[in-house]
Amino acid sequence: MTTPGPDPSTPASPIPGDGGAPREADPGAPGPAVNLAPDVHRPPLSESIRGPWRIVVEEASMLPAIHPGDWLLVDPTVTRWPRRGSIVVFREPETGTLSIKRVAGRPGDWVPFEEGYLHLGPQEAWLLSDADEATTAANGFGAPLDSRRYGPVLLEHLVGRAWFRYGPAERFGLLPGRPRVR
Amino acid sequence: MSRLTSLLAPKTVARAHCDVPCGIYDPAQAVLAARTVARMVELIGQLDPASTSVEDRAKFVRCVNVKEQHAELVKHEVQVIWSDYFKPVHLEATPDLHTKVWNLLKLAGENKQHVDAALAARLEAAVKEFADIFWATKK
Repeated sequence: MTTPGPDPSTPASPIPGDGGAPREADPGAPGPAVNLAPDVHRPPLSESIRGPWRIVVEEASMLPAIHPGDWLLVDPTVTRWPRRGSIVVFREPETGTLSIKRVAGRPGDWVPFEEGYLHLGPQEAWLLSDADEATTAANGFGAPLDSRRYGPVLLEHLVGRAWFRYGPAERFGLLPGRPRVR
Repeated sequence: MSRLTSLLAPKTVARAHCDVPCGIYDPAQAVLAARTVARMVELIGQLDPASTSVEDRAKFVRCVNVKEQHAELVKHEVQVIWSDYFKPVHLEATPDLHTKVWNLLKLAGENKQHVDAALAARLEAAVKEFADIFWATKK
């Protein structure tokens, strides 16, 4: 699945964090044929409405945007991967651990991986941590665990989009955007 | 207030998932164990080989025992750092790391088999070199 470089037919800046609009917003744009038919792997609203609507965060891989112990509001009714830079709650592949990361690549994107690029499938997203290893180490944790470790995450593992912090009071408000371009 | 807090507190935990804490690796224990092996060889050499006193025999057995335990400890400590801490990227700086570790482990085994000051000194030097390689990756 890893290729030596991006498909030349794709836009010049296909990597996550390029600030561009989501690709499916422009159906006329050139690029690989990706089936963007949404939602087939998401539970119906009657199920997703059960939540979780609120979560508490543990561990430090989303610093500085999100601190361990933060209370967040989650929208569990999302039916597709939200735009790049959004913070999502999902189940990690294989372990099923409920985790929180930032969307760095959406279905159809090329993402840098090891020596080349990875082309994400129609249901896949590339989820990364905000913190680097030095930051997590400074907070008593090991290296951040994200798609660089467990690969792309399927839409069926998406649980919701975290959008608002309601605790602690001093950091009350909408969640901040992407801290830096990767 | 605490009732309100518990009412607002989320029941679901999401992990901003990290690996197990790092920074717990330290070759100091291996260095100390290699020093102990050398010291025990030294103490064994100071015993009177002609002595048949129970005291001397007990000391001899104790020294041999400690020497072998600490040679085994060297192997364990070095193996853990080698297998769990070192990553492929570290081989760029030390391409012969695997060979060095392999030789070090064999040297520790030889120190269990023999009572030899030269072997013990070589083990100490090899462990010190391993520790230096480890600390160089932290710079």
